[in-house]
Amino acid sequence: MIMENNYISMKNINKSFGKVVANRNVNLSVSQGEIHALLGENGSGKSTLMNMLSGVYTPDSGSIFIKGEEVQFAAPKDAIKAGIGMIYQHFKLIDVLTAKENIILGQKNSFFLNEKALSEKIREMTVRFGLDIDPDKKVYNMSVGEKQTLEILKVLYRGAEILILDEPTAVLTPQETEKLFKIMRKMKEEGCAVIFITHKMNEVMEVADRITVLRKGETVKTVEKSATNPKHLAELMMGCPVDLSIKRIETEKSKVAIEVRNLSAVNVEGVEVLKGMNFEIYSGEILGVAGIAGSGQKELCEAIVGLHPVKQGEIIFNGENLVGKSPAEIITKGISLSFIPEDRLGMGLVASMDIVNNVVLKLYQKQKGIFINRKPAEQKSMEIIERLSIQTPGIKHPVRMLSGGNIQKVLLGRELDSKPQVLITAYPVRGLDVNSCYTIYDLLNEEKQKGVAVLYIGEDLDVLLELCDRIMVICAGEITGIVDARDTTKETIGLMMTGAVNLNREGEKSEYDNANYN
Amino acid sequence: MIMPITIRAIKKSEPGRMKAALIRIGAMILALAASSLFILLLRLNPIDVYLKMVQGAFGTAYRVKETIVKTIPLVITSLGIGIAFKMQFWNIGGEGQIAMGAFAASYFALYMNDMPKPVLLLVMILASMLAGGLWALIPAFFKAQWGTNETIVTLMMNYIALKWVMFLQYGPWRDPNSLGFPKIANFPENAVLPKLLGVHIGWVFALILVVAVYIFINHTKKGYEIAVIGESINTARYAGINIKKTILIAIMLRGGLCGLVGMIQASAVNYTLSVEITGGVGYTAIITAWLAALSAPLILIVSFLFAALLEGGSYIQTVFGIPQSAAEILQGLILFFVLGSEFFVRYKFVFAIKHPTTAGKGAS
Amino acid sequence: MRKTVSLLLVLVLLFAAAFTGCAPKQEPAAPPEAGGDAPEETPKAEPLKVGFVYIGSANDGGYTQAHDEGRVYLEEQLGDKVVTMFKEGVPESSECEKVINDLIDQGCTVIFTNSFGHMDYTEKAAQAHPDVKFYHCSGYKSGPNFSNYFGAMEEARYLAGIVAGLRTQNNNLGYVAAFEIPEVVRGINAFTLGAQSVNPNVKVKVNWTHTWYDPAKEKEAAKALLDAGCDVLTQHQDTTATQQAAEEKGVWAIGYDLDTRDSAPNAYLTAPIWNWGKFYAAEVKRIIDGNWKQENYYGNMKDGLVDLAPLTDNVAPGTQEAVDKAKAKIIDGSFYVFQGPIKDQTGAVRVPEGSKMTFDEIMSVDWFVQGVEGKIK
Repeated sequence: MIMENNYISMKNINKSFGKVVANRNVNLSVSQGEIHALLGENGSGKSTLMNMLSGVYTPDSGSIFIKGEEVQFAAPKDAIKAGIGMIYQHFKLIDVLTAKENIILGQKNSFFLNEKALSEKIREMTVRFGLDIDPDKKVYNMSVGEKQTLEILKVLYRGAEILILDEPTAVLTPQETEKLFKIMRKMKEEGCAVIFITHKMNEVMEVADRITVLRKGETVKTVEKSATNPKHLAELMMGCPVDLSIKRIETEKSKVAIEVRNLSAVNVEGVEVLKGMNFEIYSGEILGVAGIAGSGQKELCEAIVGLHPVKQGEIIFNGENLVGKSPAEIITKGISLSFIPEDRLGMGLVASMDIVNNVVLKLYQKQKGIFINRKPAEQKSMEIIERLSIQTPGIKHPVRMLSGGNIQKVLLGRELDSKPQVLITAYPVRGLDVNSCYTIYDLLNEEKQKGVAVLYIGEDLDVLLELCDRIMVICAGEITGIVDARDTTKETIGLMMTGAVNLNREGEKSEYDNANYN
Repeated sequence: MIMPITIRAIKKSEPGRMKAALIRIGAMILALAASSLFILLLRLNPIDVYLKMVQGAFGTAYRVKETIVKTIPLVITSLGIGIAFKMQFWNIGGEGQIAMGAFAASYFALYMNDMPKPVLLLVMILASMLAGGLWALIPAFFKAQWGTNETIVTLMMNYIALKWVMFLQYGPWRDPNSLGFPKIANFPENAVLPKLLGVHIGWVFALILVVAVYIFINHTKKGYEIAVIGESINTARYAGINIKKTILIAIMLRGGLCGLVGMIQASAVNYTLSVEITGGVGYTAIITAWLAALSAPLILIVSFLFAALLEGGSYIQTVFGIPQSAAEILQGLILFFVLGSEFFVRYKFVFAIKHPTTAGKGAS
Repeated sequence: MRKTVSLLLVLVLLFAAAFTGCAPKQEPAAPPEAGGDAPEETPKAEPLKVGFVYIGSANDGGYTQAHDEGRVYLEEQLGDKVVTMFKEGVPESSECEKVINDLIDQGCTVIFTNSFGHMDYTEKAAQAHPDVKFYHCSGYKSGPNFSNYFGAMEEARYLAGIVAGLRTQNNNLGYVAAFEIPEVVRGINAFTLGAQSVNPNVKVKVNWTHTWYDPAKEKEAAKALLDAGCDVLTQHQDTTATQQAAEEKGVWAIGYDLDTRDSAPNAYLTAPIWNWGKFYAAEVKRIIDGNWKQENYYGNMKDGLVDLAPLTDNVAPGTQEAVDKAKAKIIDGSFYVFQGPIKDQTGAVRVPEGSKMTFDEIMSVDWFVQGVEGKIK
């Protein structure tokens, strides 16, 4: 079967892993010069489908056509040869090498490099696609956005004409996201096809031409952007009507739960990462933290629970200074930290262990004696699965085998279950689908209602504005302002994020041209 | 027409139990087939040789006892190694820890032996465990403090420990009655572990330790913490586990178990300290610990089978008059296939035939 | 997990069964099943099973091979009256005792162990098995069913010294030696005295290896001696590594244990050698004939236990005559290797003119004669 008009065409693709059907009769066609969004919840089969297109998996049945010709990919390198380049969420870059070195790595060209010609080619490509990159910068010096740009350049350099981006915006700041969209549009103009995996409706509406929605491994529909809206797309994704507004529950402002006074900290290299922070969180409030990635969010979280050394300052909880106490002591006092790292696992969960063994991680230290009792954890695991509707074959199933959203639910569920007085949660919706996001917002609201003080570190300013009571903006380890979420704007917060506006230092406002989006 | 075939090894998500068993049985059959070829080369009857190997390990009560004697150090050392490996502390310093344990026990056996037998033995046991533990603690401390590579450090420390024993054997501890032969005096009677049911009492220690380590790993807080640290240091940190302390405790335990092996071998088997005290157990136990997937009960079984392989191999040497090296080749072949099968249990091969028109085939 | 636990229990039961099964059983010697090719019909007596425990490899080209040739000779002489078995590469550790027990378990009633360090383990086994007869080579302990056996290798060493003393051009002889025990010291002294008897200016440099059997280490030690200027090497080691080192350097070497002239055709002069076969055959025959009694044995050149291998063409002219003369005097008893005057390394007279070292003295000698460059301990 030959599809003349379609650049890529996937027909009746089926793929199962053991008993789990990941794709069932999936169809997808993408035209040249098109940005095609692949929309679906976690576990809807988007990644599996794209992994087949990029040669990581082989379909059980079905056919793939590239420019009208049927192809069989045995390995990713076959797909690269056919002009398909995939950008994964986890960058495959070597930190100690420069951008240029990463680009030529693994290329089968002559033994000696023609440095000049190479640099010329890279320069030419950066201009053509509007990529902003310094070829001699080392990867470890790059921001997340730069790394992503480098990944794109890398696959383009290898001759990719079809670009697959797997949830590329999950790790980007709003500014970086804007930049990426610009690059995507440029590629479209250059005649490439771009496939964009996401579950964020607003991004889809902003950049895509056509949208294919997947649900439970099956194609629901392919729609033109002009013929749809976010609510419609969400319904297609979920298979039922959904409400897309985040509720903010109003509570009585009561007592201060935790108070941070003049908190400073330095990292291993001796750089000051937290600079004289002063703030407090009230019981029954959600305090949002906004800031460019790497502004001290992680250090702040870790300092509060005793994981990061504090240089000076106090953290007062129930009239007691927490500074100098061990993490175990602080945790048992009722302060809980759930930090979702970029790879989801590795900070809070043990990937190879089952749910029970992960739940018991926050229970066993309170148990008496030298033995560990897993019975209560089994009970709790059951409750958490029930309460957060976690999809798992059972409580004895390794966490690693769950999908990303379910992994996060396990982590958050466990933290909520410890009935904390202060809940610190960083990026709890990172990489989650719409439905799961709302479940988690609801859970946070529930905690707030119970009188828990919540510190919410988020990426999405829209969410922060809708969910939180107050928003604390940090820039380079410094608080540039704490504002009421009800009467502020995205723009104001954006300016504070870059340090262009500093409410804490009235009268000595920074220059606007100091604005730095790196 | 030649079709290009690509073969890829893919990590299996979860090996099926039946399949794993089949692969292992297949490996055993292949091992026997391959060694049969080798035996035929020696102009012997393979079936005969295999039967004799089994007889050599289990044929008489005496041989069963000997197999058990060989099992004991393997079991205890594997248990120790299992604890460290569980924490992903790639410690190959078993040899050195055994030697230092034996050294400490020997000091009391040789120079402080005017105690009642039970007291002396208890002192020797404690001394050996402490010495082995402290010896293991050195690389653990370096690792915790400066992030040194424990594999290299423990390996190097094996040489130091063995050379130290050699120094004692050739120098200060040399038996004055040995007419210059580098040999340390035999232990007095009250420093020798008693026998129970015909085998030295080390087998009781081994069984108790299997149960104890099983309980420790699976049902105690520390055992759980060790597993968490092994899987993810960051998670352990976030859960408030005192990582340094836990690492040091686990390594002390591991070194202590190896040290105990040194004491048992010196007291009950060798009756003295010598450079041959370890007999390579520190390395062999790495194999048995891995084959047993670090599980304490499996360690017992695997060590016993391994000891049987060694005993059987030793027996056929005298029965058939074949060279030691040939017997060792046979053991090596069998081991090669058994270890090799673990790869196939954990990975599957995908053969993809590139063909222009038909759909791709996936076979495993 | 549950499965493994139950497996564990089964195993414990098996252990217990094995123990209880064995406790009362006290097997007499020679269980029926052991042995590779036991004769099917032997209306006469069962063949005597003799076990040999070797420190090295049975074809090490040296010490152990000499013993193994003796074992083969024994089989040839006594035919179907004996079955022999051996275990090679047995270290001087508890492994030795275990191997002895294995051999007894397989029906051996006579055990020979061939290295000094096997002594204590042989003794222990002898005490545990009063009905088995034990022979230990090169040691000094014995018991009711435990004899030691060895020979006056110093006689052959003395002759080898004559060969070396005549051959050397710079008067530097090298001696690769295993351990600082009387057996080795005795050999070095005899070799030095023999060399000095024809060339008073020779020096013998000693290099210790602390191993009986380690070709690589032995060769390293030999090379060190060559670098120190020695032009004739000999050794108290179990392999031919020393001769090979000399061959590579283009100088001369004297072997040990066996005549291995082919291993170093251009360097080889001769070797003090053992002939164990006669002793083994005679001793085992005495047991079969029922004439056994515990007796320690120290054979000599007269008995034919030790000898000097035939000289090669590499020796200096006149060597054969000098060797023959000395050999005749040793055999007829008119000359004793350790007869005075003998000075030690400090120049002090240890054996005055007219007296001889006693057997006990040479068995525990711990000093070097004058002319040896090396230290004990």
